[in-house]
Amino acid sequence: MNENEFGAKLKPWLERSAQAVGDFQATRLKAARLRALDAFQEPVRVLGLVAVAPGTLQTIQYSIVQRALLWLPMAALLATLAFQSLHESDPGELDAQLLSQELPPDAFIDQDFRTWLGKSGG
Amino acid sequence: MRRALGEPLATRKELSDFLASVERRAFKQSVFSVHDEEAALDIVQDAMMKLAEKYATRPPGELPLLFQRILQNAIRDHFRRGKVRSTWTTLLSNLGMGGEDDDADPLETLEVEETSNVPASPADRLEQSEVMAAIEAAVQALPERQRQAFMLRYWEELDVSETAKAMGCSEGSVKTHCSRATHALAKVLKAKGITL
Repeated sequence: MNENEFGAKLKPWLERSAQAVGDFQATRLKAARLRALDAFQEPVRVLGLVAVAPGTLQTIQYSIVQRALLWLPMAALLATLAFQSLHESDPGELDAQLLSQELPPDAFIDQDFRTWLGKSGG
Repeated sequence: MRRALGEPLATRKELSDFLASVERRAFKQSVFSVHDEEAALDIVQDAMMKLAEKYATRPPGELPLLFQRILQNAIRDHFRRGKVRSTWTTLLSNLGMGGEDDDADPLETLEVEETSNVPASPADRLEQSEVMAAIEAAVQALPERQRQAFMLRYWEELDVSETAKAMGCSEGSVKTHCSRATHALAKVLKAKGITL
């Protein structure tokens, strides 16, 4: 008799031994099985095509929302800084930029502009 | 362990049927290992729970190997935690390592009965229960790894590769453990005059 034959001969005895477990143990095993089944969640189908674990979709959705929430304060801070930088420019600097620009020759012929320029410089 | 694309996942009923089919064997395996029925029940319960919670996305065909891996890990963890200290001594561990005084292969000389029907008479039933007790004791006395390999190969009917995965060892080790276990068991049963 080789090993496989010996194993095959022993198997029915082991099966019989397993079936002979006491009522108490059998009840406990059944309770454990039912508890495990309570924890089991049937796979769900996505778009009727792919079956995935029930927690998968919630996990994906949660992670997207979670990431958005993490980036939200950073985005708000950047937006605030950009807004402030636009509205807090120095007026003098703006004037200098304006005056340093090349004006069209017609501007100097314009009487009103020359009057304004004389007052501003004066 | 990769799942083929489109392979259907285990349903609640499939999982239920599988657990119902394996729970008693798992319990006996655990009892053989930890020698404590209460601890064995806890181990099986933990293994069932883990399978249901963590591996809901697996097809039913993968459940036996997955469950065995979880169960063997749970038994190993039990020993690691040191909740139970083994106090038994093994006759077969010595026989498995040594045996120089008997060169004959017990598997070659072990008698095998052709049938293993349920005995009719009370005397026969008593005899069978004694045989069963002797077999249980012999299996229980095997060294842990030998018993694991033997149980997975010949009781759970996993192949060598699957057994190696479940045990976390090489296929060569599985073959060695199985060979030693079967020879040790055959030797003990022969010494007790037991025919299967």
